[in-house]
Order: sequence, then C-alpha cells, then structure tokens
Amino acid sequence: MTLSADSQRSIDTYLAALRKQLRDLMEEDVNDIVEEIRAHILDKTTDAANPEQVEQTLAALGTPAALASRYRTEELMKRAQTHRSGAQKALLAMQWIGTVVGGLVAFAVSVVGYCLGGGLVVLGVLKIVWPQGTGLWESHGPGDSWGLSFSSGSGNTPPPNSHDVLGWWLVPLGLVLGTALFYATYRFGAWMMRMLWRPRRWRYVPNEQQI
Amino acid sequence: MKDSKSIPDESNEKWEVQLRKGSLELAILAALWPGRLYGLEILRHLEDNSDLVVVEGTIYPLLNRLRSAGLVETEWVESDSGHPRKYYSLTAAGRSRALEMSRTWTRFSASMNNLLQPLNGKARKEKP
Repeated sequence: MTLSADSQRSIDTYLAALRKQLRDLMEEDVNDIVEEIRAHILDKTTDAANPEQVEQTLAALGTPAALASRYRTEELMKRAQTHRSGAQKALLAMQWIGTVVGGLVAFAVSVVGYCLGGGLVVLGVLKIVWPQGTGLWESHGPGDSWGLSFSSGSGNTPPPNSHDVLGWWLVPLGLVLGTALFYATYRFGAWMMRMLWRPRRWRYVPNEQQI
Repeated sequence: MKDSKSIPDESNEKWEVQLRKGSLELAILAALWPGRLYGLEILRHLEDNSDLVVVEGTIYPLLNRLRSAGLVETEWVESDSGHPRKYYSLTAAGRSRALEMSRTWTRFSASMNNLLQPLNGKARKEKP
C-alpha cells in the first residue's frame, strides 16, 4: 500500500508535532508512542487512494497537543495511584510535622518581634514624655556589678548610680528601629503563612487547550 | 421550560462519561484476557462487544499507563501490512488485577441492581 505524498506529509507533520509535545517524557517511551500511533494510522488507512481517510483518522485521534496531554494525564494518574505508599507516606508525615514546627516557630518569632518592636517605639515616645526617667542606663552598682537596662519605671527620675548612654538618641533610634522591627515581623509572619499554607499541587498541570 | 430540562440531561451525560472512563481499564484488561492484541484490535473488540464508546485518542495513553504500571507488557511484531504492530498482553500482575477488579465489579453491580429494583419496576411501567 502506498500513500499519496500529501497523506504521507500530513501523517509526518502530525507525528512530528506529537513528538514535540511529548518531549518531557522519556525518549524511548516517546519513540514507542510515536511508532504505535503511526502503525494505528496506517492500519486505519485501508484505502490508500482515499486521502480523506487519513485526515479522518488524524481527526479521530485529536490534535497532537490533546493526544500528548492525555498521555501526560495518564502518567499523572499512575503517579497519584502509587503516591500513598511507604516513602511517600513518610514524606507526607514529615511535611505535616514541618508545618506544625514551622507554625510554632513563626508564632514565637512573631511574639518576640512584635513585643521588642512595640517596646522600642514605646521607649522612644516615653523619652519625650519623661526625659529624665527614660533611657538606656549603664549602671555601676556596689562592687564590680555593672549592667545595661532600659527604664522608664519610676516616672521622671533616673535610676541611682547610672548614666544615660544614648540620651536623646533614644527617640529616633527607638521609633525607627521599633517601627522597622514591627514591620519586619509582620512581613516575616506573612511570608511564613504563605510558605506553610501553600497548597502542594502537582507542578505540572496538563493543558488540553494548548496548541 | 426547555432550559430547565436540559440541565439534568447534561449532568447525566457527564455522569455516563465518568462511568465509561472508570470501566475502560477493566474492559481493556478483560479484552486481553484470552491473549495478546494490538491497540486497534482492542478498540475494535470493545466496539463490537460493548456499548463503550471509546475515543481513539483515549485508549493509547491508557494502555501506556497500564504498561508502566506493570499490568501489561508489549512487544513489537512484524506484520504483513508492511509495518510492525505493538501487541499488548497481560502480565501476572495484570491477570490478578483483572480478576480482582472483575470480582469488585460483580459485587458492586449486584448491590446496585438490588438498590435499583424499585426504580426498575417503575421505569418498566412508564415505558410506552
């Protein structure tokens, strides 16, 4: 049986397009698939003199893109069926534990970040209200004891035996650093939420419509 | 009035498509039970022996999945037609899977028929 040049050409074009669409499958599989489809087309073409028969056969198979996408869908189905066994189960459990631990860490970091940021802003404001009683105090106690502490505790009197390290710098530093930390914590929280709550889908979604 | 009627028709069609899709795998395994066949033979076998309407572009991808799942194996065989054909035959895993699916199917359809008995009586009466 010899096909007309036109029929031969449309078969070749179809198979070349199919091969291109299947490029993400393993090469030996692709060769196998293309040869099988070629055999199918030739088997369906019982009357070589009728060029319409080839066109009908190609139409019945669907476009190369649609056919390739069916192969990929079946491949995904196979993976989905073997998904829930052994290693995959362990992986799912790990992912779950990761989500829980990640959530706890995010919560702890957020609490610390908001408290520190908020505290710094409050200190900056308090420095304006009670300049004498608010500051980063470097204290020299009896003996060798030494320490740094923030304070605005006792109204407008400085703690005994200490001097203010930052002075008025506490106002811009507290406000800017506090706001920055607050904002950074907010962004971190939002980012963690996105990471943890991100639905785990197949990366590859076959698209029937693509040509 | 016509619109409201077309909705249930459409969803019935969808349901039927799903039903066919779900049973195609078992139908193919059953077709291969007696011996090896190539793709087009399987298609024709299904067309001749069932009212499963099989779209040609559906069967080859499905066969490819059955092969990579180890249920069927393939071999290329030269033919008189001038080109080789890819024949499919059941593996041991495919045979036991086919038996298992067949049992499930029989049990399932028996219980469904049981459930549908009251409806069937009514459907018969309403038929002209």
